[in-house]
Amino acid sequence: MELLLLFTMVIGLMLIGVPIAVSLGLSSILFLLIFSDSSLASVAQTLFEAFEGHSTLLAIPFFILASSFMSTGGVAKRIIRFSIALVGHFRGGLAIAGVLACMIFAALSGSSPATVVAIGSIVIAAMRQVGYTKEFAAGVICNAGTLGILIPPSIVMVVYAAAVEVSVGRMFLAGVIPGLLAGTMLMIGIYVMARVKNMPKGDWKGWTEVFASFRDAAWGLMLIAIIMIGIYGIPGVTGAIFTPTEAAAVASLYAFLVASFIYRDMGPLANADGTRVSLMKRPHALITAFWHEDTRRTLFDAGKLVVTLMFVIANALILKHVITDEQLPQKITEVMISYGFGPVMFLIIVNIILLIGGQFMEPSGLLVIVAPLVFPIAMELGIDPIHLGIIMVVNMEIGMITPPVGLNLFVTAGVANMSMMGVVRAALPFLAIMFVFLIMITYIPWISTVLPNAVMGPEVITN
Amino acid sequence: MGQDSSRLDRIEENLIAILLGIMTLLTFANVIARYVFNSNIFWALELTVFMFAWLVLLGASYAVKKTAHLGVDALVKAMNPAKRRVAALVVAAACILYAFLLLKGSWDYWAPYANLPPTEGRWFPMGFVEKFRGNGWYETQDIPVPFFMRWLEVVFNQGDAYEKMPKVVPYLVMPLSMALLLYRFIQAFIAVWKGKIDMLIVSHEAEDDVEAAGAAMAASEEK
Repeated sequence: MELLLLFTMVIGLMLIGVPIAVSLGLSSILFLLIFSDSSLASVAQTLFEAFEGHSTLLAIPFFILASSFMSTGGVAKRIIRFSIALVGHFRGGLAIAGVLACMIFAALSGSSPATVVAIGSIVIAAMRQVGYTKEFAAGVICNAGTLGILIPPSIVMVVYAAAVEVSVGRMFLAGVIPGLLAGTMLMIGIYVMARVKNMPKGDWKGWTEVFASFRDAAWGLMLIAIIMIGIYGIPGVTGAIFTPTEAAAVASLYAFLVASFIYRDMGPLANADGTRVSLMKRPHALITAFWHEDTRRTLFDAGKLVVTLMFVIANALILKHVITDEQLPQKITEVMISYGFGPVMFLIIVNIILLIGGQFMEPSGLLVIVAPLVFPIAMELGIDPIHLGIIMVVNMEIGMITPPVGLNLFVTAGVANMSMMGVVRAALPFLAIMFVFLIMITYIPWISTVLPNAVMGPEVITN
Repeated sequence: MGQDSSRLDRIEENLIAILLGIMTLLTFANVIARYVFNSNIFWALELTVFMFAWLVLLGASYAVKKTAHLGVDALVKAMNPAKRRVAALVVAAACILYAFLLLKGSWDYWAPYANLPPTEGRWFPMGFVEKFRGNGWYETQDIPVPFFMRWLEVVFNQGDAYEKMPKVVPYLVMPLSMALLLYRFIQAFIAVWKGKIDMLIVSHEAEDDVEAAGAAMAASEEK
């Protein structure tokens, strides 16, 4: 009963516009003061321990920083060029290339709205120029943009791993096949629609263009390689080289070097008019790049994002503390089992909660609230923790594009300068594809678990 | 005032940027130390974690000032201006209560490490506890004390040498950040009262970028 009050308060505060972090924190504090004998000092301690006690979360600032250095317009353009060179000549090619570009960019950035902005602002305009309707273009990007949280490295997965204490490396690997699968399903869907409606196709520019564009994009793509090889090692050659946190920090520095010295989109070697200066002509740039205004700006932008995201997560960990203390999951499990609910019914309930929640809330925040609640129940019912993580991520992806208020719908409407309803209608056919994908992910655990189990060995469930 | 506050903005922004930059370099340096020099900067991880906490907790008040905290705006955006204002006042009041309670909690948590008395009272501070045990001798795990901070020993440890950085230093961010947060929330309340702002949140992190991209798209369509 008290717990119902707690959750009503969290949701009520959020709906009237209280910052998510404060809604979570204040509700938990009031609950603890009224119904338990915890002191305010212990709440403060819990808040600080969000940092001190969870070194997994330390990966988040570095992943955000790496993606900030990579999210400059230049990298997005190079990825789009490479995608068009690869698949642009199919019917509906530009749309398919848009999906591919979103997939690649998603791997670099790990955030869905950021992917929609970076790829959407270029691809939607380009698609209109060659004769696609703007609605179709917006629908494609809106859906493909959600892959940002599913394709590793993904910040949301780091949050899940920290919240329920599973391995980040496993979560990343588990996202690979589902991410590729979702992208492929979207591309096939587009291809079929393009054939039926006879949409435009581009020209095949030959392998030279494929290689040239690849060489140009390769510096950006290397970032993914650094992270993945760093975390898992090269099979047969080396073991893991870095922890995920170190991999992210190395990736940040790498991204900074590429952006400042190779692509020269920013920093002392980029001129205001977009031209670049050779390092030979300005060798002192090697030093000045570290405190150049662009570097400061990127560090600050990334830092601001870290602040807002982590403040939510830290407060959600206070709520997690309450949930765990009150043994809420155990109570729910008892009720569920007494009504004869099994894993299938449970997963449907999780699906529904997350689809609704995912419409309103930023995914990491939602995850860190829901995960501690459903995770112990799932363990009781014998669901694989990694599989559960992927289900939750996919659910939130779809929540972001489900009408009436999905987050990505808003973002796409803003980027494409369209009405919300226009984007909703445009996104519907692809939403149907994503729903099929969700059902596959939910009821075929193999898709998520096969890769982590093959690479890292079968999982040992400790708790 | 305008000049002043923008200079303060600059300081806060630089602090955020520098903390994140040093965290990255420190973690990177540790990797280099391990693979190239076959050694280990043993205090790097702990220091990075504390810097992470300082970054987020101090940044939280900056985010209030810039209305950057994440929230749910679906319902609020559907309200008329009068209702929005009432909602925003309630929101600001809730935020003030939050920051106030946590400020008391943070003081109570930090004070013993500084050999200062925590406060009495469960909800509100009702004066200071008279008998308490000072925890000034508590140390962090790994971080050494730099020479210029030796004065800490005199102030917090009766002159006994610290082997590692005492906890009073990293934990200081708790009362400090919560006091700043309280101050910024009170300012936000006043701003709502005067009708200068009508929300304390944004719905996602890329809001500014979306606006810019939308404007560019609109411009390209007019051509």
